Amino acid sequence: MNKAIIWIHGDCLNPGQTALRRHPHTPAIFVWDDDLLRRRRIALKRILFIYECLLDLPVIIRRGQVAREIITFAKEHKTRTVITTGSVSPGFERICRRLREQGLELIITDEEPFVDLPQEPDLRRFSRTWRAIRKALEED
Amino acid sequence: MSRDMRRDFVNRSELIAYLRQEFPEAARNADAVPDARGGRKAAEDKLAEIDVQAYESSRNHLEGAVTHLSPHIRHGVLGMAEVRDNVRNKSSGPQPGKLLQELAWRDYFQRIYTRIGSAIWQDQEPYKTGFAAGDYADELPADISDGETGLACMDAFGKELIETGYLHNHARMWFAGYIVHFRRIKWQAGAHWFLQHLLDGDPASNNLSWQWVASTFSQKPYFFNRENVEKFTNGRYCRSCPLYGKCVFEGSYSDLEHRLFPNKPPAPKPKEKQPGSKKRKKWHQ
Repeated sequence: MNKAIIWIHGDCLNPGQTALRRHPHTPAIFVWDDDLLRRRRIALKRILFIYECLLDLPVIIRRGQVAREIITFAKEHKTRTVITTGSVSPGFERICRRLREQGLELIITDEEPFVDLPQEPDLRRFSRTWRAIRKALEED
Repeated sequence: MSRDMRRDFVNRSELIAYLRQEFPEAARNADAVPDARGGRKAAEDKLAEIDVQAYESSRNHLEGAVTHLSPHIRHGVLGMAEVRDNVRNKSSGPQPGKLLQELAWRDYFQRIYTRIGSAIWQDQEPYKTGFAAGDYADELPADISDGETGLACMDAFGKELIETGYLHNHARMWFAGYIVHFRRIKWQAGAHWFLQHLLDGDPASNNLSWQWVASTFSQKPYFFNRENVEKFTNGRYCRSCPLYGKCVFEGSYSDLEHRLFPNKPPAPKPKEKQPGSKKRKKWHQ
């Protein structure tokens, strides 16, 4: 494939993740979201835990405004393709939107889910979802 | 060109010193550094230690065989499928047991988060306590965050949270129940505080569990009495508590319900709980 970069984020810090496995030797970046750390008043121990995870990964670590740093990193590597792992966080969605607005192409990989359900379960209460999950686990 | 952060540390102390320098505000918020390590090796060690049978029989006790996997799962160092397979290989029967059900709770919360996004910070339903949301205080009082309530259990939980970034599920439930119902503070204030400190801090599991306790994501509020705390902690806190026998958690569930929720309409079929009897236990990391 053409040149690309990998964006690693805090929801997927497995050194064996699909994005890294499928695209070895691809430059990878993690960005500390300074605004989020400040807004949430995140304690040092949480930063330490994540930093220790990052040291297992072949990743450049930077900080600042996440989308801007990814765009800069992509420019440094003369690419417009960003590979990353999907996340349910609305912050992830916002960053992806900004990257696309700046003309970057996103390739979003997914890790194997806990369970594959044929259709979205009833989420009003856990007991209803659990019935669907249990059935899928038993049939798996 | 942006500046790369360092990766070349001789040891953990050097890394910690570097982070204190780079993130002084985070260090000011809470400077403690726990023994729990991040990284794949630490995660694999925890995975190898899982004892499914011991977990099933003892998980509700503070000294029970809980897994401590949650920070590694929350940050995707361990995949949900990987943990699922590990648990299955160690399980005795074909039926999904309690540990798989715990993982299913995380999956459930993630599905809800996908659907509602930032609304995870809003009440999903009205409180079922007889009070309106406006009756609850917005801010967490300093005596709670400083561990100076005088209640040995709650003060110990607060200190543990700040020092280690971890709390047992049952302690999270008691703490949340205390903050929301005994102190009448909005669940959001407690949820923010937990997310500051918990190594497994995740808005989906954290906030929806707080809402479950508050009753904004459940049929009724979760609360507890002193005997319940004493039973599942082997009396560890009650024995040393200056308020033993006269604390706010003293009494039967029926007494406490009347005291905490005087405006709450009576349930259709009220059931008297025995003091210290097993209450619902549903905090899910």
